Amino acid sequence: MKKQNSIGSRLLIALVFLFLYAPILLLIIFSFNAGDSSVVWRGFSLDWYGKLFQNRLIMESVYMTLLVSILATAISTIAGTFAAIGLYSLKRRWRSPLMTVSNIPTVNADIVTGVSMCLLFGVFFMGWSSFAGWFNAQELSLLGHILQLPERLTMGFTTLLLAHIAFDIPYVILNVAPKLRQMDKNLIDAAQDLGCTWMQAFWKVILPEIKPGVVSGALIAFTMSVDDFVISYFTAGSSTSTLAMTIYGMTKKRVSPEINAVSTLLFVTVLVLLILSNVLEARQEKLAEMRSEMKPVAQRKPILPPVFRKSWLRRMVAGVCAVSLLLVVAALSHVTGSRPVVNVCSWGEYIDEALITQFEEETGIRVNYQTAESNETLYSLLKSGGGDYDVVVPSDYMISQLIEEDMLTELDYSLIPNFDLVDAQFRNLPYDPENKYTVPYAWGTLGIIYNENMIEDEITSWSAMFDPKYAGKVMLINNSRDALGIALLYLGYSVNTTNEAQIREAYQLLADATNKGVYAGKIMDEVFQVMEGGNAAMATYYAGDYLSMLENNEDLRFVIPEEGSNWFVDAMCILKDARHPAEAHAWINFIASTDAALANMDYIWYGTANREAIEQYPEYYLENYGEELDQETFDIIQTPPEVLERCEMYLVLPKETRDLYKSLWIKLGV
Amino acid sequence: MSKELIRLSDCVVKFDDEIILDHLNLYINDKEFLTLLGPSGCGKTTTLRIIGGFLSPTSGDVFFDGQRCNDVPPHKRQVNTVFQKYALFPHLNVFENVAFGLRIAKRPEGEIHDRVMEMLEVVNLKGFEKRPISALSGGQQQRVAIARALVNRPKVLLLDEPLGALDMRLRKDMQNELKRIQQEMEITFIYVTHDQEEALAMSDTVVVMDGGRIQQIGSPEDIYNEPKNAFVADFIGESNIIDGIMRSDGVVEIFNRCFKCLDGGFDKDEPLDVVIRPEDVDIVPESEGQLKGTVTQVTFKGVHYDTIVDFYGFKWLIQTTDFCPVDSHIGIKIDPDGIHVMKKSAYSGMFGDYSSYSEEYEEIGDASIDPEEEGSGDEE
Repeated sequence: MKKQNSIGSRLLIALVFLFLYAPILLLIIFSFNAGDSSVVWRGFSLDWYGKLFQNRLIMESVYMTLLVSILATAISTIAGTFAAIGLYSLKRRWRSPLMTVSNIPTVNADIVTGVSMCLLFGVFFMGWSSFAGWFNAQELSLLGHILQLPERLTMGFTTLLLAHIAFDIPYVILNVAPKLRQMDKNLIDAAQDLGCTWMQAFWKVILPEIKPGVVSGALIAFTMSVDDFVISYFTAGSSTSTLAMTIYGMTKKRVSPEINAVSTLLFVTVLVLLILSNVLEARQEKLAEMRSEMKPVAQRKPILPPVFRKSWLRRMVAGVCAVSLLLVVAALSHVTGSRPVVNVCSWGEYIDEALITQFEEETGIRVNYQTAESNETLYSLLKSGGGDYDVVVPSDYMISQLIEEDMLTELDYSLIPNFDLVDAQFRNLPYDPENKYTVPYAWGTLGIIYNENMIEDEITSWSAMFDPKYAGKVMLINNSRDALGIALLYLGYSVNTTNEAQIREAYQLLADATNKGVYAGKIMDEVFQVMEGGNAAMATYYAGDYLSMLENNEDLRFVIPEEGSNWFVDAMCILKDARHPAEAHAWINFIASTDAALANMDYIWYGTANREAIEQYPEYYLENYGEELDQETFDIIQTPPEVLERCEMYLVLPKETRDLYKSLWIKLGV
Repeated sequence: MSKELIRLSDCVVKFDDEIILDHLNLYINDKEFLTLLGPSGCGKTTTLRIIGGFLSPTSGDVFFDGQRCNDVPPHKRQVNTVFQKYALFPHLNVFENVAFGLRIAKRPEGEIHDRVMEMLEVVNLKGFEKRPISALSGGQQQRVAIARALVNRPKVLLLDEPLGALDMRLRKDMQNELKRIQQEMEITFIYVTHDQEEALAMSDTVVVMDGGRIQQIGSPEDIYNEPKNAFVADFIGESNIIDGIMRSDGVVEIFNRCFKCLDGGFDKDEPLDVVIRPEDVDIVPESEGQLKGTVTQVTFKGVHYDTIVDFYGFKWLIQTTDFCPVDSHIGIKIDPDGIHVMKKSAYSGMFGDYSSYSEEYEEIGDASIDPEEEGSGDEE
């Protein structure tokens, strides 16, 4: 009986640990996967770690994360330690409530902290800009000439650092305060009595006493800083990105094994720091125990650890100081380097990063490359004034909305000679009829991806998406425009129809299919896992992404149904208030070049608008891979004109129609 | 007599609205061993902290060697302190603890070494230099604390209940040790304690404090033999305090009976407090007694018996070597020099009745936790 019990409880413990660590274990395992799927194991390799170090987006954000974390840790450790001492020397009546107040941020929801800081900075910037405007307008004789205050402040490194310092401080206080409480408060008096000024007493007596608390506080603050996503997300602005933010941006399309690798490294780093701080604490406790156990007997074994501990700690603190100093110097040189810069915001995994380096080397312009998750996020970011970008790459319908709202600037095409290479087919498109604002970046089509092994028929029509025959095997795309769009296409209506009856008919089609159990679920990015793993037979998704899936599952097929489909263009535009227009034009011209178009096409498997690139791609493929590019694949990348003719681009819908979409989509049950 | 070194003039200390020191006036002579004696919360530690510079009086002045020093910070005063629980630096060994003040003062290494070793010899800790503080007994830590303070050659050493944490036997040893060191070093010691025995045994001058005020200043003998009021009489040793009336010089009436005494100079028929120490009462056969009473309780104390005797409803403590069984009727005799009369004060009627006598003396000199010490940190 007893034995059974113990086996049962051990099993329970094992299950709990499995539950806790299985995901991380999986992540670590797949970071060593030779293939690029996060479902299919292709053997062991360190490739992704190698690639990781060449991925400039990740490396830059790692650098940024380390810089912010170390600076925030150093500053908050100093501030927190003194704050703890201040709190400690307050009267008890004040101390306890103040301690509680200072601890609240540690339990406060990150999102609340993040949003409130974002708000604070916003309000401050507004106040500052009116002050600076007033100040600069004053003819303050000499001063006015020398000192011109910048009128426009944006969130960035400084705000990020301030936010990190603010949320790190309570953790330091939390760790230092108990050590202070343990300390005999007469020690400070004693030191002063023996001739110390307060500062001397601090260095010679208080600090050695509370050092373990300070060190563990610093370690925890550092861990928190490295870990943080939510607060950083709200305070970093658009031109700064920490590792966590970059990873989040990259998962927009799929969880790339590079992310597994960087997450593994992050996990290991944090783990090491936590172990370190725990070991420190345990050792300290053991020492305190020995001290209290010490009987007033004259002869006792001398305790060895103190000597060792002291020098070891001292060395460590010195090491941390040295590293942070180095990083500060590096950061200053990095920040103050007045190289020209261009701020670009695009989508995750949407560029061959070698191009960025190449551009930087050729022009000497530094590219600050950021990513957004969706057109809607980008739009709200721009609207809130948070996006300090020069070049953005929105999709067609979003471009027309931006033009309508006068948020884009007209391009100077004389600075973009490569625009001549854009095929006529991709000029004067509905979103920019006179082609005054945009240069196409990439384009693609929506189609049906299906698994040959699970579907016997050849799919040619959207009808398959509503056919009860495939009940439980189909994945519906999880956004209202695309989902209703395919229903409209099947019914033979325009995807841009504003006719309520037609839209309701399309809705009914979806609702009936849902009721008949056709759809196993509604998904977006999860489609990679689901289709590669063979967990669903059919889904609607984009052509380029199908090719990525094909690499991990050869049974997949792609079709653009005979009823036609949606095709989309992502195009480069320059924002109205861009601060680096010349650099922005240079960037657009560079990306529009044939070489860049070829590299990008090969990397992201979306179509290009560059005439020469379209012609040269098969040759390029042969050169790089040593084999012929088969026509079928090429047709998927670069949908042939005759198929494209059947496709329709999304236009901005009027408000009433958008609202109708929204209410129907909710009714369908998201 | 030696010259005056420290003077507190009309010092008041208030925390919020609580008065801790109430218009205190005190002067301390050079090379004097002065003890501030009183129960918890009487203001003795506060007085010490003012002298040490850890606290500024709310009003009033502090003079050191004739110079006003209210605002001189602790590290600039020629005063060193031995703290309650010693406040040794745990991260330093014995030698470095003692050397701390000299290092801050940037003395040359050779001098530091010589002075520290010399001082360790004075406190009998030679050979302990390398020990960590945690490996020392309470008594040894105490000595380190004293050495650490004295090595700086202060003019005044402040001691804040330094023996409170030691056990009884060690305390007695350290009392002698401290007295010896004080005489050897020829400096002023200001000693804070709530233990009256300690105060009487060591001091040149005892300052009895209560409620933020000085109740009496005097030599140990004065304080014991001529207490100024019921508080002092009760706090220093055991006392029977009885209401009396001064009938004329040298005659005091207690329980409607006249007793001869040595005091005089009061108004005729003035009501006052009469102190009779328990050991000054002789037990005689009932018929010979000036007063007659009944024994209600006897406790053997080793040297003597504590005998509680009921006189007309008022209970006295009598310490006698004669055993009188409970319920026996006895008489007592008191010599004139065993009677001490005091003017009536705010403390009259509060002390000196043994109706609620328990086997333990109402002794505050117990080495348990002193509530004042808990509060003092917060008061800063």
